[in-house]
Amino acid sequence: MLRYLVRRILWAVLLFVVVTLIAFVLFFLIPANPAQLACGKACTQQDVQRVAHALGTDRPVYTQYGWFLGRLMPVSFKGGPHLKKPNLGRSFVNRRDVDSVVAEAAPVTASLVFGAMILWMLIALPVGILSALRPRSLLDRASMTGVLIGISLHPVFIGLMLSFLIGYEAHLTPIAGYANFFGGLYGAPGGPIQWAYHLILPWITLAILNAAIYVRMIRANVMETMNEDFVRTARAKGAPEFRVMRAHILRNALLPIVTMLGMDVAAALGGAIFTETVFGLNGLGYNAIQAIGNYDSPTVMGIIVFATTAIIVMNLIVDLLYAWIDPRIRLV
Amino acid sequence: MPLLEVKDLKTYFSTDDGVVKAVDGVSFSIEKGETLGIVGESGSGKSVTCLTIMGLNNPKNTISMGEALFNGEDLLTMSPGRLRQLRGNDIAMIFQDPMTSLNPVHTIGTQLVEAVRLHRDLTKKQGRARALELLKQVGIPRAEQRIDDYPHQFSGGMRQRVMIAMALINDPDLLIADEPTTALDVTTQAQILALIDRLQADYNSAVIMITHDLGVVAEIADDVVVMYAAEVAEHGPVEAIFRKPRHPYTWGLMGSLPRLDTDVERLVQIQGHPPSLLRPPSGCRFHPRCPYVMDICRQVDPVLAPTGDDPRHLQACHLDEETKSREAEKLLAGMMAGAS
Amino acid sequence: MTAPQTESPAGLDLTGDELLVVEDLKKHFPVRRGIVFQKEIAAVKAVDGVSFAIREGETLGVVGESGCGKSTMARCVMKLLEPTAGRIVFRGHDITNLTRAEMRPYRREMMMIFQDPYASLNPRKRVGFIVAEALEVHKLGTPAEIKRRVQELLDVVGLNPEHYNRFPHEFSGGQRQRIGIARALAVNPKLIVCDEPVSALDVSVQAQILNLLKDLQRDFGLTYIFIAHDLNVVRHISDRVLVMYLGQVVESASRADLYGAPKHPYTGALLSAVPVPDPETGHRRKRIVLEGDVPNPINPPSACRFHPRCPRFVAGHCDVEPPELLVPAGSQPDHVTRCHYPLERWPLTEQEMRQAGAAVAPPVA
Repeated sequence: MLRYLVRRILWAVLLFVVVTLIAFVLFFLIPANPAQLACGKACTQQDVQRVAHALGTDRPVYTQYGWFLGRLMPVSFKGGPHLKKPNLGRSFVNRRDVDSVVAEAAPVTASLVFGAMILWMLIALPVGILSALRPRSLLDRASMTGVLIGISLHPVFIGLMLSFLIGYEAHLTPIAGYANFFGGLYGAPGGPIQWAYHLILPWITLAILNAAIYVRMIRANVMETMNEDFVRTARAKGAPEFRVMRAHILRNALLPIVTMLGMDVAAALGGAIFTETVFGLNGLGYNAIQAIGNYDSPTVMGIIVFATTAIIVMNLIVDLLYAWIDPRIRLV
Repeated sequence: MPLLEVKDLKTYFSTDDGVVKAVDGVSFSIEKGETLGIVGESGSGKSVTCLTIMGLNNPKNTISMGEALFNGEDLLTMSPGRLRQLRGNDIAMIFQDPMTSLNPVHTIGTQLVEAVRLHRDLTKKQGRARALELLKQVGIPRAEQRIDDYPHQFSGGMRQRVMIAMALINDPDLLIADEPTTALDVTTQAQILALIDRLQADYNSAVIMITHDLGVVAEIADDVVVMYAAEVAEHGPVEAIFRKPRHPYTWGLMGSLPRLDTDVERLVQIQGHPPSLLRPPSGCRFHPRCPYVMDICRQVDPVLAPTGDDPRHLQACHLDEETKSREAEKLLAGMMAGAS
Repeated sequence: MTAPQTESPAGLDLTGDELLVVEDLKKHFPVRRGIVFQKEIAAVKAVDGVSFAIREGETLGVVGESGCGKSTMARCVMKLLEPTAGRIVFRGHDITNLTRAEMRPYRREMMMIFQDPYASLNPRKRVGFIVAEALEVHKLGTPAEIKRRVQELLDVVGLNPEHYNRFPHEFSGGQRQRIGIARALAVNPKLIVCDEPVSALDVSVQAQILNLLKDLQRDFGLTYIFIAHDLNVVRHISDRVLVMYLGQVVESASRADLYGAPKHPYTGALLSAVPVPDPETGHRRKRIVLEGDVPNPINPPSACRFHPRCPRFVAGHCDVEPPELLVPAGSQPDHVTRCHYPLERWPLTEQEMRQAGAAVAPPVA
């Protein structure tokens, strides 16, 4: 177990370096001068060079990458080795700490993603199981049609339609925006009720696509597991159908779903870009789009660091969870 | 009253290609303490017969007809609730593949305790004690430790022992074993057969042993049913079947088996392969492969009737008694001649 | 004997006219472990020193329970797996260390038939293509000649030659095994390795395939290595039989000697475990029931690998001194067994085996 964790963490560090390095180099290849953008149109050539020097963009890419890694280290060797707080640097555009940008955006994205995940599993589990129990029934056909529609519709379209019909026409929900769970700042709406009220449409938008995919997965897995020999054994023991489903089919059928859920949630944490953009949610995806438009590499790198870490951590959690629910898997 | 009496059992499956008559008029009965062997090749309907008795076919595409009287109660028409009370308690089943017949995510202890507690009002602790007792009886070494292991930690033979322990945990009156040793090595097979034999003596249970191996049948069965293409070809006491076989298919099966006690240069072979049950041959279903085929065989399905000298020995063949007697003698003599 | 005796390090009594000689063949699969750099911590000794020789036209049967290494041994002989050690001599040429390219001329002389006829046939290829593939690889004829040859082969194995355009799924299990046999026969091989060719088949179909294999051997002078766990089948088809246990040969003899007068207690246990399709002898017979399972080949028992399960185990001898493959007293010179206390007679019941074992055991010091 310890051996496994050590190996996983070593791999994670390597993965982290590779991902950030690629992102860094890609950014460097873009033929735009962030200093020019940061400085503004009125700047002279000398002004731009001064700004470039201040931002560090006049230095070679490996130096810049070295600084980036150095900022992430919890120790500093400048003026004797000492511990320091790792940080992500400052934005090129508005000189804000990227730490605080990420810290503000991450809860928005997390609220969106985890809320939507609960919603899509609440839809997908019962629908998937019932469809599997009665293949080719009316319910099964209806749900499979729904799945097709859900998969084909683009989240931007779903989001805009929901926002227009329910928010704008029916006035049932806000059209866009976010409310802080722990109370609004500067008189903005806040608290759990406002939070949920503002997020309901984004949740539905993100959940529709995923629910469709998961209904199909759960249905297929349950149907496959129903034909396993051990299910017949359970019936031969005299177990009632409900028990057969709960203790014998579901536990086995949902194993692969756990892995998929972990990966999907991790990927979405990196930014549910479409949903955030449509509903003007100031989350990671929204911030990443803004930052890319401004050639604001520290902010983009900050979000990449966060997303990569999220994926690595979720992966680890999924593996541990998997080993816990499936005794055949041993972590070595 | 016999423990189990099956009368004219029919099981039809509806498939995309049409109706498959997997079992088509099978009758037999079994008393307490007896062992009935059902022999046949794959697709002969021997497994489906037993799954029908247990009510384990998929109800959505299956129709079953006839009667299966267990202590006088018809298993085919009783309520699902009543059937569940009997299953695993009075009638238990062991399956062919011990590798896939246990749930991989539960310990064997959990699965054994489940089997007891479904039928008996026991605490978990009492259930566990009972499970441990059975594991020791079926010869699992270090049962106290192994009870908390998962199926994948056991070898095939040990898993089949666990399956047997699970089947016997409620002292069933009838044990149905569907090819319990086919997936196992020969020394393990010997262990498992010896175990079933011993436990049957201890509990006086009736056993239905489904197998394709005539050797297994000869060793443990009292009565034998030979099935071919969803029907019974021959049925009788084990000595009668092996000493005086009366159906050409039985002859074919015996002759096609290489065996340790005789030497033959060429095996008797049954030409062709088993028919599709979607469109079974007209008349006697064995006629396209039968070396003795006559005109009547193509048109009239022979009924299962007693042989001349033994009312308990039934066979379904149009050949006259004299020919059958002569051909059976010839076959057995041929095997004896090869005996070393 | 006038034939020149060839020197063999593995103690084989060679006459020089053997088609295949295998000497001290070993195949170890490494077990690796480590955080970043994997180091070998153990090895599964799947095949651990197997030697045998086959003459042309003979059938060598190989029996043993699952995990005894018989299939791995066959794959090493076919060079589908690289042997860890040992020597494989085919028609006088040492093929042990040949590269893939150097093996090519030998490939068409050694073919293999597998257990699962369906899994070993490409489901998307027509039967004609499957059978013709080896001919095309070895460039044996024009397309017209190859087609004629394929139809001829289908006819030889008892399939309708008109069916060369069909797909494998259109055939039954027995017919698929016939396709596998036709494919193996296509290039006129000398040696065919049959790995459990009839275990997946029904009894009546099994008899058809066994008869076919015997007919083909007679007609084409084929040499077979026939691997199976069914002792009845092996007895029916073999001239000589090897019994394997945990990667080693424990007994090797002519068919009549092995089945009539087995010397190794494991062979005895195997034979007594086979159910006999005769109710009288079947009910009467007392089996030698072995305890437990085959041990883990990563860590096989010391000395004699069979000693933990052996009914005539002698403590202090069998678990200390590994037995050699030797000719037991009173046996034919080609009958060898790896046992300190070979069986004196046969049949023996388990009780008699134990008693006889106790009688021959040296007094405990």
